[in-house]
Amino acid sequence: MYRKFTVLMAAISAAVILFGCSSGKKELYIYNWSDYINEDLVKRFEEENNCKIILDYFDSNETMYAKLQAGATGYDIVFPSGYMVNMMAQQGLLLKLDQSKIPNLKNLDEKYIPFSMDENQEYSVPYMISNTGIGYLASKAGDDFDPSWNIFADPRYKGRMTMLNDMREAIGAALKYLGYSMNTIKSDELEAAKKILIGWKRNLAKFEADQYKNGLVSEEFYFSQGYSGDVYQVMEENEDINYAIPKEGTTLSSDNMVILKGSKNTDLAYAFINFLLDGKVAAENIEYVYYLAPNKEAYQYLSDEIKNEPAILMPDEILNKCEVLKDLGENNELYSKIWDEVKAAK
Amino acid sequence: MKSKKLSEIRLSMPSLLWLIIFFMIPTIIVVIISFRNSNPSGGIAPGWSLHGFSDIMSLSFAAILWRTIKLSFLTTIVCIFVAMPVAIFMARAEEKIQNLLLLLIVIPFWTNFLIRVYAWKIILHPEGLLKKILYTVGLIGEHGSLLYNEGAVLLVLVYTYLPFAILPLYTSIEKFDFRLIEAARDLGSGPFRSFMKIFLPGISQGIISAVMVVFIPALGSYVIPDMVGGPGGEMLGNKIAQRVFTDRNLPKGSALSTLLILAVILPGLIRLFIKKSNLKDVLFKRKTPGVQ
Repeated sequence: MYRKFTVLMAAISAAVILFGCSSGKKELYIYNWSDYINEDLVKRFEEENNCKIILDYFDSNETMYAKLQAGATGYDIVFPSGYMVNMMAQQGLLLKLDQSKIPNLKNLDEKYIPFSMDENQEYSVPYMISNTGIGYLASKAGDDFDPSWNIFADPRYKGRMTMLNDMREAIGAALKYLGYSMNTIKSDELEAAKKILIGWKRNLAKFEADQYKNGLVSEEFYFSQGYSGDVYQVMEENEDINYAIPKEGTTLSSDNMVILKGSKNTDLAYAFINFLLDGKVAAENIEYVYYLAPNKEAYQYLSDEIKNEPAILMPDEILNKCEVLKDLGENNELYSKIWDEVKAAK
Repeated sequence: MKSKKLSEIRLSMPSLLWLIIFFMIPTIIVVIISFRNSNPSGGIAPGWSLHGFSDIMSLSFAAILWRTIKLSFLTTIVCIFVAMPVAIFMARAEEKIQNLLLLLIVIPFWTNFLIRVYAWKIILHPEGLLKKILYTVGLIGEHGSLLYNEGAVLLVLVYTYLPFAILPLYTSIEKFDFRLIEAARDLGSGPFRSFMKIFLPGISQGIISAVMVVFIPALGSYVIPDMVGGPGGEMLGNKIAQRVFTDRNLPKGSALSTLLILAVILPGLIRLFIKKSNLKDVLFKRKTPGVQ
């Protein structure tokens, strides 16, 4: 019985190897966040270029980084967030981009370039811009809801609100409310933000970075500081859920496309990046993932529904108040200390 | 005699190896890392320092340590008080009922721990039935929540560790000779006094085991305060997670873990000590009735 099984397995693996090679198509290995690309576009690219794309997924920058550090090879394109691009470039994992092979770089929207950590696209090309805002239940907020971080000070919603369990985001919201930079290292500004945040904390159900979206769906929480993608994702499950960007400004972050040094099919990788930067393609991608691809040629093809969504295509006056969270290196400890004090406060 | 010892070593080898590889060595690594320097990208920098332990002097750490110890202590007390009558009832019940009750206690373990905690989140949900009933009765406000406070953490901790308290109590009570109580009563001791003086000392080993298996894991709780605790419900385990995952400071995380390990080993050592001295007591007591 056991031997039969072994023989069968050997036969199957032989078949896989044989047929796997027989197609003879070029292959492109992509390592991406899940649900982060319109798969129709992937199919279209495969047909146009007579190649095969293999998609693999990660759930956090750290997982992806650990896997690559541990020696995983074979991936061509990866989609890391800004700070991770810097780290990967420093570690020598990334290919320095030959910009002549990506003519569609001209479509990038200059407004959003400062939010990328690699402003000259030396190693990376911005893929999608996401932001942090407030997911809320419209029925509880009322018609006169004016999106502000100070909603967390409202005692009417005590015990039914959450903020992100992420020190940079939570302290950042308080800093923004006070009109300071989210990357400040001035101790008086951080102290002031700490006081505000401790006041907000007394009204919170909890600091929560993950389950808040389910909490919104089940109406456990009325207001949650959250990531745009998360909130848009659960809107289908409860129509009462809305999303707003606070008027004081917020965090933007970009995910980027990079080519790994070990890539075997660089030309195909360049072609794929160029393909995603095409205006029409980018528009289709935005419609699918509900994030903003910073592509000025794409906006004209967007449906009205997306065009009128201020949390995707932000008005300039809010955009100007937004920032990207920078890695503060040693100064991270300033934030850890404030965060410890906020968490321990009564 | 010699061959008996050899076979003993051979028998305990697998578990000993297991302990050394998966407990001793990782623990030692954690202790070593706690004395290293950190670098901002989350790694370990060359050189040695006590910087990892710098947290311990801060006020915010004292608050978390106090909460951790308080919650673990309360969990232990409540578990023992609830488990005691259950264990007594089980030990004195008919064998059929005994087996049934044992099965009922073990059955929840067939369901994943996380799912059981989620079940509590549903039971205590602010839009749930329980909350609605309490609201109608007027015990809680419209926007109030039963979740995300220390009470919820305590409740779920007790729920989680209760079986671990019942089982050792049950085994030691089952062995207890209830005729001793009858004898005490015959000799004029009241029910309370015979309970305190005869019954409790008689099952002291069971009580100590129950306290250990509840208190020690409760100290290291991470998931429960994370899921049902509020913004002020952090325990030591959550702080360690924060140090490692968000602060990217391995030495600081390791320093807190080292403290936790010490806190866990210390009661274990105390238990060992008590066991030894108690053994003498037990031997001594066994002799006395024989002499009488």
